[in-house]
Amino acid sequence: MTPDVLALLLIVIGLTVYTLFAGADFGAGIWQVNTALGATKKERALLYGAIGPVWEANHVWLIFVVVMLFGAFPPAFAAICQALWLPLVLAVAGIVFRGVGFAFRSYSVGAEREQLGWEIVFAIGSTAAPFFLGMAVGALASGRLVVTDAGQFDGNYATGWVSPLALFMGFFTVGMCAFLTAVFLVREANQQGDPQLTDLWRSRALATGIWMGILTGVGLLYVSTDAPLLWDGFQRRSGALVAGSVVAGVATIVALVSRWYRGAVFAACAAVTAVIWGWALAQYPWLVPPSITIEEAKAPDRVLWFLIATAACGAVLLVPALGYLMWLFKVGRRQDQ
Amino acid sequence: MTDWLLVATTATEANLLAARWQMALTLGSHIILATFGVGLPVLLLAAEGRYLATGDREWRSLAHRWSKVFAVLFAVGAVSGTVLSFELGLLWPTFMSRYGAMIGFPFAMEGFAFFLEAIFVGIYLYGWDRLPRWAHWWCGVPIAISGVASAWFVVTVNAWMNCPRGFRWEEGRVVDVDPIAAMLNPCTGAQTAHMIVAAYMVSGFLIASCYAWAILRHGETVYYRRAMTLGLLLGTLMTPVQFVVGDWSAKVVAETQPVKLAAMEGQFKTEAGAPLRIGGWPDEATRTTNYAIELPGMLSWLAYKDRDAVVRGLDDFPQDETPPVAVVHIAFQVMVGAAGFLMIVSLWTLAVGAFRRRLPQGRVYLLLVVCAGPLALLALEAGWVVTEVGRQPWIVHQMERTADAVTAAPYVGTLLVGTLAVYAVMGVGTVVVLRHLASAPGEEVPRDA
Repeated sequence: MTPDVLALLLIVIGLTVYTLFAGADFGAGIWQVNTALGATKKERALLYGAIGPVWEANHVWLIFVVVMLFGAFPPAFAAICQALWLPLVLAVAGIVFRGVGFAFRSYSVGAEREQLGWEIVFAIGSTAAPFFLGMAVGALASGRLVVTDAGQFDGNYATGWVSPLALFMGFFTVGMCAFLTAVFLVREANQQGDPQLTDLWRSRALATGIWMGILTGVGLLYVSTDAPLLWDGFQRRSGALVAGSVVAGVATIVALVSRWYRGAVFAACAAVTAVIWGWALAQYPWLVPPSITIEEAKAPDRVLWFLIATAACGAVLLVPALGYLMWLFKVGRRQDQ
Repeated sequence: MTDWLLVATTATEANLLAARWQMALTLGSHIILATFGVGLPVLLLAAEGRYLATGDREWRSLAHRWSKVFAVLFAVGAVSGTVLSFELGLLWPTFMSRYGAMIGFPFAMEGFAFFLEAIFVGIYLYGWDRLPRWAHWWCGVPIAISGVASAWFVVTVNAWMNCPRGFRWEEGRVVDVDPIAAMLNPCTGAQTAHMIVAAYMVSGFLIASCYAWAILRHGETVYYRRAMTLGLLLGTLMTPVQFVVGDWSAKVVAETQPVKLAAMEGQFKTEAGAPLRIGGWPDEATRTTNYAIELPGMLSWLAYKDRDAVVRGLDDFPQDETPPVAVVHIAFQVMVGAAGFLMIVSLWTLAVGAFRRRLPQGRVYLLLVVCAGPLALLALEAGWVVTEVGRQPWIVHQMERTADAVTAAPYVGTLLVGTLAVYAVMGVGTVVVLRHLASAPGEEVPRDA
């Protein structure tokens, strides 16, 4: 495997883990918005308790993706930042407000009004971040970002990136995050032995799961009409992944209905993963369709190998540490409740 | 001086100004948060270590409160760091497109260090009651180590912008890239050491400063005194180290970026036996630095270890390749002046500590300590201005001009206004929450915090 493909693989892996875990963290805020902050104290404790120890680590996957992208494919990063500046800036604003909102609410214990204020900031930020990140991905995927040979975006900076697929992807990504959170929280509520919360999140997971199934079908319609380059790739390469996503989605629903929550978590992750890899495979070898391919954008081979080696060595340190974090707060939760 | 005022005549110039102000704002804020990410874990470990050694709950209470302060600053630092990573592409796409391959490797390493830090921050903050005491302490160690590692990797990138090495430029692309040579460029050693020691100083003095203020206002308690002592230990032990490192740093600048040295010192004419100027106001019209106290031959000696060595003046360089002299010179004077003050406080503290085994006493000393925190911060910011403004007009020293690296997109001004608003909210929020933490009663462990 050539180093550029390997580097791209690492980027897609990073993006996948970011979507699964940070996506679920965003979902906590999205559900706060959905319930108009009407959640009971107990519900909120579950929501905030679930993301508290892990959200910072989950967030770093985004940094990993950004750094790998600009290190391995510099012109693509420059083009994406220019063409998609508006959704990206709004997404970063969401990320900022999500982060500070969460930290500030956690350490405003005792000051009720301030805490509520920061929870609102957190909730809106958590919804805005995936919405605009999803839009950016949709805009990229729709394949109409034209970049000149000098690396300049050739289009309207305010509206040039907007497309039906981009708008759709904004909503789709928010739904996906809400779905992941619901499935994750069924398991956590069940683990904590709270039947009431388990049922609440189970019904939410089922509802969003069915909606997301429908939306994935709609998304393919959008791709087929709005993104010819991507649609071509989907037809040629991503068939198995589309099928896999459908199977995993159905499996999630079945697992939820039969109250096998751990299975539901795995199936939901598989469904989302299949969507991301289906897109990545369909878009290959374009980084910025129809302007930049990985071949055109790749950094010198030696740089790519250094980045890959960094990721490999980093993984040796990170995987056990990350495993310990998850084991401590996600697996071993039961004992202290 | 004029290019620092918002006076622009063309669209590109307007973009350049807005983009530079945006970097000044966002990096200038991030550097404070990052500094705490390096220094505060050491203080946390010290306080918690005292608790483990003595079993005294007051130490635990101190460490626990500091861990909350750290949590807030770490969260704000994490998001402001994210802002920066996107800004690189939003504001400087040309630079990133050309040189992303050069700086990707250290940034990737930094990313992993930050990752490790974030993981152990989660464990440390939420593990107070979940882990055995010693295990909890050990989970703080990777935070302190990766904080330093992050700082080191990030500053190597800045060092590379000052001393670009490890590549050739051919047909509009970087070729023959040697990431190690790029990372270990001639500026790296001094610059990274200078920054890391500065981070320890700022954290130590700012913490000490807060508690000195508390003692002045509320009277002395064991808790306040211990907190202040730990901060002072870190700050005062690092200050003499910084004098050695700072001297090394200046010699590296003299070697690698003589034009920056000339600007720092307000040295317009090339001369043998150049004087060290203390204070003074460089006048770019008359090409002289007025009102300065001049120590004959000292600059030559400090820069080249020879009182008669020739120091190149600004007039020796093309006019369009020199930085704004006044800003650089004055920022440098501010940094050195603040450092001098910190050195006095440190020597006093260390001397009394060594001979009497206690801190100096009295209100005057406490007042000095109160001033030391903000002055350390001022020195940090001023030093950063020296290295960044002193590199102008280049973004990559003698390779690429800042004006050529900036985006031509029309959004930069809007972005600056939006960023100002967001950072205002973030800054006010941070202060409000930290004040809330400071006034909260000690020693409660919130379940969901």
